[in-house]
Amino acid sequence: MAAMAITKAITVGKIRPAAEPLHVLGNHGAYEVFPETEEEIAAVLQAAHAHSLSVIPMGGGTKRGWGGTLEKADILLCLSSCRGIVEYSPGDMTVTVKAGTTIREIAEQLAVHGQMLPLDPFWPDAATIGGVVAANDSGPKRLRYGSARDHVIGLRVVYPDGRVIRTGGKVVKNVAGYDMSKLFIGSMGTLGVMSEITLKLRPVPPCQSLLLLAFPNADFPAIRSFVLAVLDSTMEPVSLELLSPALHQAMNGRDGYALAIALEDGEKAVRYQEEWLIAHAPPGTEIRSWRQEEAAHWWSRFYRMFPSGVSPADRQAAEMALKIGSRNLDVLELVKTCHDLGERHGLAVEGHGGLGHGISRVYVKGDPARFAAYLQEVRTAAEERGGYAVVQHASLAVRRQLDVWGRPPAGFSLMQGVKRAIDPRQVCSPNRFVGGI
Amino acid sequence: MAAIDPLVRELSQIVGPDAVLYRREDLIAYECDGYTVRKQPPRAVVFPSCTAEVSAVVKHLHERHIPFIPRGAGTGLSGGAIPLGGEVIISLVRMKRLLHVDYENRLAVVEPGFVNLKLTNAVAAKGYYYAPDPSSQYACTIGGNVAENAGGAHCLKYGVTTNHVLGLEVVLADGEIVEIGGVPDTPGYDLLGLLTGSEGTLGIVTKITVRILKNPEGKKTVLAYFDSVEEASRAVSDIVAAGIVPAALEMMDKTAIEGVEAGNYPVGHPKGLEALLLIEVDGISAGIDDQIARIVEVCQNRNVSEVKVAASEEERARWWANRKTAFPAMGAISPDYLVQDGVIPRSRLPEVLEKISRISARSGLRIANVFHAGDGNLHPLILFDARIPGETERAVQVGSEVLKACADAGGSITGEHGVGIEKKEEMRYIFTDEEIAAQIGIRDVFNPQNLLNPDKLFPKPGRCAEMRTAPGEAR
Amino acid sequence: MSAPATKSHYLWEDPPDEEKYSACVHCGLCLESCPTYLETGHEQQSPRGRVHLIKAVAEGKIPLSPGFEQPVFTCLDCRACETACPSGVQVGSLIEAARGQIRKAMPLTGWRALLHAVFLRGVFPHPSRLFALGKLMKLYQRSGLQALARKTGLLNLLPGHLQAMERVVPAVPDPVMKRYPEVIPAQGTPRGRVALLTGCVMDVLFGDINEATVRVLTRNGYEVVVPRDQRCCGALHIHAGDREQGKILARRNIDAFLHARVDSVIVNAAGCGCALKEYPELLQNDPAYREKAVQFAEKVADISKFLAAHGYEKPTGRVEARVAYHDACHLAHGQGIRAEPRQLLREIPGVAWVEMPLADRCCGSAGIYNLTHPEMAGKILDEKMKAVPEQADIIAMGNPGCMLQMMMGVHRHGRTQRVVHTVQLLDWAYQREAAPQEERGM
Repeated sequence: MAAMAITKAITVGKIRPAAEPLHVLGNHGAYEVFPETEEEIAAVLQAAHAHSLSVIPMGGGTKRGWGGTLEKADILLCLSSCRGIVEYSPGDMTVTVKAGTTIREIAEQLAVHGQMLPLDPFWPDAATIGGVVAANDSGPKRLRYGSARDHVIGLRVVYPDGRVIRTGGKVVKNVAGYDMSKLFIGSMGTLGVMSEITLKLRPVPPCQSLLLLAFPNADFPAIRSFVLAVLDSTMEPVSLELLSPALHQAMNGRDGYALAIALEDGEKAVRYQEEWLIAHAPPGTEIRSWRQEEAAHWWSRFYRMFPSGVSPADRQAAEMALKIGSRNLDVLELVKTCHDLGERHGLAVEGHGGLGHGISRVYVKGDPARFAAYLQEVRTAAEERGGYAVVQHASLAVRRQLDVWGRPPAGFSLMQGVKRAIDPRQVCSPNRFVGGI
Repeated sequence: MAAIDPLVRELSQIVGPDAVLYRREDLIAYECDGYTVRKQPPRAVVFPSCTAEVSAVVKHLHERHIPFIPRGAGTGLSGGAIPLGGEVIISLVRMKRLLHVDYENRLAVVEPGFVNLKLTNAVAAKGYYYAPDPSSQYACTIGGNVAENAGGAHCLKYGVTTNHVLGLEVVLADGEIVEIGGVPDTPGYDLLGLLTGSEGTLGIVTKITVRILKNPEGKKTVLAYFDSVEEASRAVSDIVAAGIVPAALEMMDKTAIEGVEAGNYPVGHPKGLEALLLIEVDGISAGIDDQIARIVEVCQNRNVSEVKVAASEEERARWWANRKTAFPAMGAISPDYLVQDGVIPRSRLPEVLEKISRISARSGLRIANVFHAGDGNLHPLILFDARIPGETERAVQVGSEVLKACADAGGSITGEHGVGIEKKEEMRYIFTDEEIAAQIGIRDVFNPQNLLNPDKLFPKPGRCAEMRTAPGEAR
Repeated sequence: MSAPATKSHYLWEDPPDEEKYSACVHCGLCLESCPTYLETGHEQQSPRGRVHLIKAVAEGKIPLSPGFEQPVFTCLDCRACETACPSGVQVGSLIEAARGQIRKAMPLTGWRALLHAVFLRGVFPHPSRLFALGKLMKLYQRSGLQALARKTGLLNLLPGHLQAMERVVPAVPDPVMKRYPEVIPAQGTPRGRVALLTGCVMDVLFGDINEATVRVLTRNGYEVVVPRDQRCCGALHIHAGDREQGKILARRNIDAFLHARVDSVIVNAAGCGCALKEYPELLQNDPAYREKAVQFAEKVADISKFLAAHGYEKPTGRVEARVAYHDACHLAHGQGIRAEPRQLLREIPGVAWVEMPLADRCCGSAGIYNLTHPEMAGKILDEKMKAVPEQADIIAMGNPGCMLQMMMGVHRHGRTQRVVHTVQLLDWAYQREAAPQEERGM
């Protein structure tokens, strides 16, 4: 029945029954469908809508372990063939790309014109712009550059019934009608399938540097007052990311907490800030620095620390990642709490968090049976501070035992209303998002 | 004298008698906002002083199916706060407290009636500021800024209101109070992003958490005079192409310069200029001079007639006051004006400006251009005299043509002023009926009875009425 | 949209000028400058709202009604909106014209009419009666009657704001008009001949300021004429909508001062200075006086502006005090004079400058506003006092009405500051050159 419906919508050559029937992360599909154009995406969704089939969109598959309790939907809509730049106007500093284009590919094309997409999500080699935007993924550099909601200026979305709806536009400033793009950013594929994304760009800064300030004796009051001094100064760090001891160890082979401070600006401005930071670092701080390609290399290693749907299967099953949102300064306490709780629960925990932007991430390795209790305590710690903790990566088995998203947020009935208005038949990524949306 | 509307008594019981206006003379003062082409007095104006009162008023109106409009300072330029018939205006100006500033976490919590510029003034002593700076910032409220997703001269580098709102307390159409956001990326759909810029049709904002920023270490401002609009607009693209992200990049043409020089804040620009650019660069002091040198060089390559750097903070402030009061200064050279707000890709500035000047010539109405050139946000000011029969209609028509030109260049009909009642029909220039229906579908989730600021934003149903919602879907 | 031919409800002479109200584009940038809008949040109590209503009456949308009268008369006429307005709308002039129309359509009745007849028409235009009133006050203060009245609680019969004012009225000296000859010779090398507008309130309540002004001028080489035929400037009448009386006074003053053949007419009361400068507008439809009014207005100069423009001898005597400055609305907004008095004060040796935030925010005095709208005036005064720096010893300003109001504020808020006129401080400094050991500033 499902197969029949799909074959009417798209060439048979672009459909295949799932190669491996099960995937440790779930979020699979009975059929994998590979559309190459927006029309094909629309045709597939139209068919799915008509026959009430479920569809999970997927780009590079890096976020397969994020949310959802389905082992497989009827259709896994693989967008990896919908790739490439649709329109790039360097003079306007905007680009329109197809959803299945990887972050790396976009970066390479833009670099030719000295421009960049100011987003630093994980696994840029594999992650696609569609996936990054749908999951609202971001990295430490959002401190200075912001996150997807600050860069996406327009979308083409294939609605769950196959209609193509444009949101926003192609200009950097636009308040015509509702800011509909925002709804789809971070919607986890529950409101349709983005086919094209238009983004605002920035010039590549002429000079890049990374200062790593390590605090071997974990003097938190000193770290805190240093961070406050930086935030209260006129310095313009691009990241102010706190690394937990295990992550610091894994990245740099040293012990203790550390701060990764990226500086990206003109040469003089970067040097001046380096000097300022070094001069103001608390006594006893170990300072290392990397410049240009070396700094970029450090970051590319960092972006691969995250457990992902493309890492080996055995690793995937034994790992969990959490995303924690809090007020900026609470990151300090929360990263420490996550680290300490890891020790108590006998789990290996690598964590980092952005002081100044409020997002922390924790990678947990060990006995999956202990994950639930660990999550609960981390979540309580975050909620006590007005924040939240969600599971950003876990195997299907683990996810089924956990509350991935925590309790429904304020305004949840409105979110349900939005889902009903756009996807009344629950075609897209059913049950993948908060509160069972 | 007609009997007093019983609704007035009921509302007075909620907010107190001194917080309801109902006399005809008083209501006339609320018949329009910063957009004066259409006028209609409200049924009453009510001034709640806290969230609970807003909620109680909304509940009362909701139960009786009486439409209502939230209003701040009424500086909006698209008629978003103008009644269209029988609405009650809920004025938020008495909710004007700064509730809390948290410097460590770089945020401030304000009530909706708090005036934009006052936030910067309140945190200035510690070296902070609130980035969105619409030209009306002396008077406009942050609640209104959220409703309109207001921009300003400095959004080129720092983004518009939506990039600075961290959390909202909202009274929904039925009076329910919801708090959204607060910490980044809260799980669930981005209601914060959706509400910002929804022009008062999805809820009434009663508390706003915004980001505050540290003042940049250095700041330099350049004024460049040109003998040709085309050269000036090419200089704009060149500056951006040089890899510089200016904090602001503003342009005024000949007629606009005539206006500001006749207004209350003249700078003394030389006579006979065709265009000027006001360019500001900020950031770490070290290296700013290099950027300025680069900008001067770019301008020289584009045959600038004079280019100078502000010598003092006073001079800089004078240049900005001149620019920021440019719209209303047109009152000094024309009895009425209509300001448009089209956006185009920056690289198409020269051709669109040329098109606008053709529209102006054809219509016989003067158009002054003063705009955020850096982000392609044009503000053509159509000068007219409402006392001359038919001229208002002509001005409105010219405005629409200008927006068509922007839309045809791949742009938008509004960059920061909102759609309101002014640009409802022009929504069709950039959205299909289906796309408009998709937005109305979202409105219906929040505002199912269309009581909140009705008949704004979307074109009249007509062609749009029968568009399909979803095949086979009963609604 | 374009209105059908409508009928204006302005039926009398001097209606609000269409050119002036059509300059308003309804942008709202004036809102935050308006003390009554800040207090009420009501659009009709804002400059933009009032102009909008004035226009609505002209368009026949609303009549000259109490609902129109109220916002138009609640305006302080402080003109702060004129400073804020990007398109230069002359709100003050529109308000005054509208008041004229309202008073024609709805003449005052009851005690207000009586008050108006007695004071604005009966006393102020007539120097002799004004001085008699001054004498009465002096008698009241010196005879022990004041003490008696305060002790017996007789004063409690007066409305609260009048009681408050009674408490702060300074010891009244004799008016300059009475004590000085009509022409006072210059000291040293003569530099010119100027006339002094003594003003009504100024000369009766603050004769010492006029005296200080005369001393400062003669000291700087000016021969000072005090024309005997001068009258009250008429500002209070125009503000109250009594344009007829205002015009009568204006014509008398023009005659008196032009007859004096002086280079400049010096004014030390901001409200009066503003009114004098606006005579040409007031008399624009008077063929006999139109040109004379222009000729006269060109001679009018505020004392601080005059000294700054023509130069003056910098004092060497010291006034050891921390001084804050309040911008009188009719100096700052009405005449654009802000820098000159500040400069003058800061150049007095010994003066430590204390910046007053929102220095150009109205104090609520506004002519007789504090008498007609005591409640609003009180709230505005309270806001003003919040901005007055605690650490200042002296609050200086250039308008007698403000001085009285600020004295009330100081009293009401338990402050100890001394309220003085700018020119008084300069005068003290000059006097201390001769006797440096004399009493110090306070």
